[in-house]
Amino acid sequence: MEHILQQMPIVLRSLNAGFLQTLKLFFVTGLGAIPLGLVIAFGSMSRFRPLSVLTRLVVWVVRGTPLMIQLLIIYYFPGIVLHRAIWGGGEAGRFLAAAIAFIFNYACYFSEIYRGGIQSVPAGQTEAGLVLGMTRPQIFFRVTLLQVVKRIVPPMSNEIITLVKDTALARIIALQEIIWAGQAFLRGSNGIAGALWPLFFTAVYYLIFNGVVTLALERLEKRLDYFR
Amino acid sequence: MKKTLILITALALLLSLAACGGGSGGKSDSSDKAYVQDKGTLVVGITDFAPMDYKDADGQWIGFDADMAKAFAESLGVEAEFIEIDWSNKVPELENKSIDVVWNGMTLNDEALEAMACSNAYCENAQTVIVPAEKAGDYATEADLEGLVFAVEDGSAGEEQAVALGNEYTEVLTQADALLEVRSGTSDAAIIDLQMANAMVGADTDYADLAAVMNLNSEQYGVGFRKGSDLCQALNDFFLASYEDGTMQQIADTYGIAVIDQTAAGK
Amino acid sequence: MAFLDVKGIRKAFGGTEVLRGVDLTLEQGQVLSLIGSSGAGKTTLLRCLNFLETPDAGSVSVNGEVLFDAAGPAARREADIRRRRLHFGLVFQSFNLFPQYTALQNVALAGKLLAKEEPEFRGRKKQLYRDIDDRARQLLEQMGLADRLDSYPHQLSGGQQQRVAIARALALQPDILCFDEPTSALDPELTAEVLRVIRGLAQRRTTMVIVTHEIAFAREVSTQVAFMDGGVVVEQGPPEQVIGAPALERTRRFLESYMSS
Repeated sequence: MEHILQQMPIVLRSLNAGFLQTLKLFFVTGLGAIPLGLVIAFGSMSRFRPLSVLTRLVVWVVRGTPLMIQLLIIYYFPGIVLHRAIWGGGEAGRFLAAAIAFIFNYACYFSEIYRGGIQSVPAGQTEAGLVLGMTRPQIFFRVTLLQVVKRIVPPMSNEIITLVKDTALARIIALQEIIWAGQAFLRGSNGIAGALWPLFFTAVYYLIFNGVVTLALERLEKRLDYFR
Repeated sequence: MKKTLILITALALLLSLAACGGGSGGKSDSSDKAYVQDKGTLVVGITDFAPMDYKDADGQWIGFDADMAKAFAESLGVEAEFIEIDWSNKVPELENKSIDVVWNGMTLNDEALEAMACSNAYCENAQTVIVPAEKAGDYATEADLEGLVFAVEDGSAGEEQAVALGNEYTEVLTQADALLEVRSGTSDAAIIDLQMANAMVGADTDYADLAAVMNLNSEQYGVGFRKGSDLCQALNDFFLASYEDGTMQQIADTYGIAVIDQTAAGK
Repeated sequence: MAFLDVKGIRKAFGGTEVLRGVDLTLEQGQVLSLIGSSGAGKTTLLRCLNFLETPDAGSVSVNGEVLFDAAGPAARREADIRRRRLHFGLVFQSFNLFPQYTALQNVALAGKLLAKEEPEFRGRKKQLYRDIDDRARQLLEQMGLADRLDSYPHQLSGGQQQRVAIARALALQPDILCFDEPTSALDPELTAEVLRVIRGLAQRRTTMVIVTHEIAFAREVSTQVAFMDGGVVVEQGPPEQVIGAPALERTRRFLESYMSS
């Protein structure tokens, strides 16, 4: 116990740095995937069949393969197969590659949730808008969107909480997020080796952060409670 | 009909991916040294591995390998940049040009020599057996190891030794995980690098409850570059020069490493 | 030429022809009730008038202006349709109020969006919006909803929701207001309040086309009744004629089965 107290400041500094990467990846993915998912959802619902078929094929591939493999392909494919090292060797390149893989992967999951949400809004809403002389974009943004948002908050909450934990996968391309930082003390880092507790302790970070995310999403759900 | 179409498309996709992968028999068409000097940094792929590469209290990378890498980079007129990698991905990292060199107490085994351009050996190493300290007395000869379940790092030189012994073994992600297996009793013994064992196992170390009992072989550490890289020869020249002027020995003394005579190397 | 002139409207879904050449006329200030059994094509006709369906053939004109002509070139262009459909208003069977807006916002929304297309909108925005809100408030008061302006749809009864929907359709001052079975989603005690509102509109000489199953109400409120069967208008005329003394056997049989049920 005394041992752990001595190690605590060193471990916490390292875990905090790792968690910063985790948070960065989480927020960048969210900011990118939430709008991109909408674009993909529209693609998959397009009345232009080649576009909708292609979009659905891409979504099927992305959802049907492990994110870990996608990370490896996005990071290593350009340099090894195409002989164009586009990511560089630094942390920034690894982060960018991870962010792109995460954004694309999560956008595909989100797009299916959006699609379900959009299709669950009764056709009568659109018809009412049309009859009142609204344009299609006006109907989408003024009438449909908020109803879609209300419907998708619960399934989106699930995905977002999964995303918090999925960020750990980025360590496959050596992005030094919090689990990497925790594991480092097993191998030996900063003069501490063979310590398992920092790895277990990372769970506390996830737990607290997911608590905050859950509360925020619950508040959003409450705020949309004013209509049915 | 639709399903067949999907299947065919999926197959075509996989094949084209495989075809692309087949074409990756990379050959550097221009000088790797020029490439590194052009961008001004030598990106060194490492893991946190005392005493070869590890962080000091300020978070700077030090260790025998790290200090040598810095000196080598300086001789090229570039900066050394250290990047922690997943050890099992070291070859893809090189080919991907996300690192320029693997410099992290790498055992010169057949696989390494096959996949990379490897420098002359600079340090003696061995694979050593680790058991709980209180049982250390039970193991004197290789025959005593019979029936033990080993923990080894996946793809490591230690794994080769476990295969050679013919014992049952478990593959884990890192050598430290292998030590943890022994400590927690999930494996009977571990096989790890002697250099690492010297730093981490035994009295007054992090694993005081474990002990190294015997070496299974003798092997050597080297540095890995992309296949066909001219940096390899540059490093051999640098090793020779720094051995002769004593700087290599000086750095080795700092970290308690025994280096190999570079004037006799390369044979 | 009549105020509303519908000629030869045909509409098929897949292989089924739902409208087989509908002709209709209506003068300004008159109320036309469309009656007939389910599947006769009444609702489809109403949806064609409001451009929710595009007829395969035929034409629609209002006050001499051709709004739709299947033979014309630009018949299907959405941008063209949008302005033209404002000649009609439509009240749905299931209200279709926007759930996230209050009664007042439901009534005012479309007007505010259209106001953006007005010349010099930026400078006059405040004034335009105030006028639109005032008119929306007036309409809701006229519907007997003065105390429910800020209620959300789910806080209103079915009858109240339908009255908001009527106010919403009236807000854009359509030439012709259409009702698609406005009371069939309502309990009997709520039906009366909606019918009362429609009766009031008829007295104020609002031109209306009403698809309804309330034969007694149709007879009372309409100036014209059209009986549809099998995708065509079989008989059109004043209610006392079509309902009171139908000329055709088909009409008589429908009315008899209707009265007995």
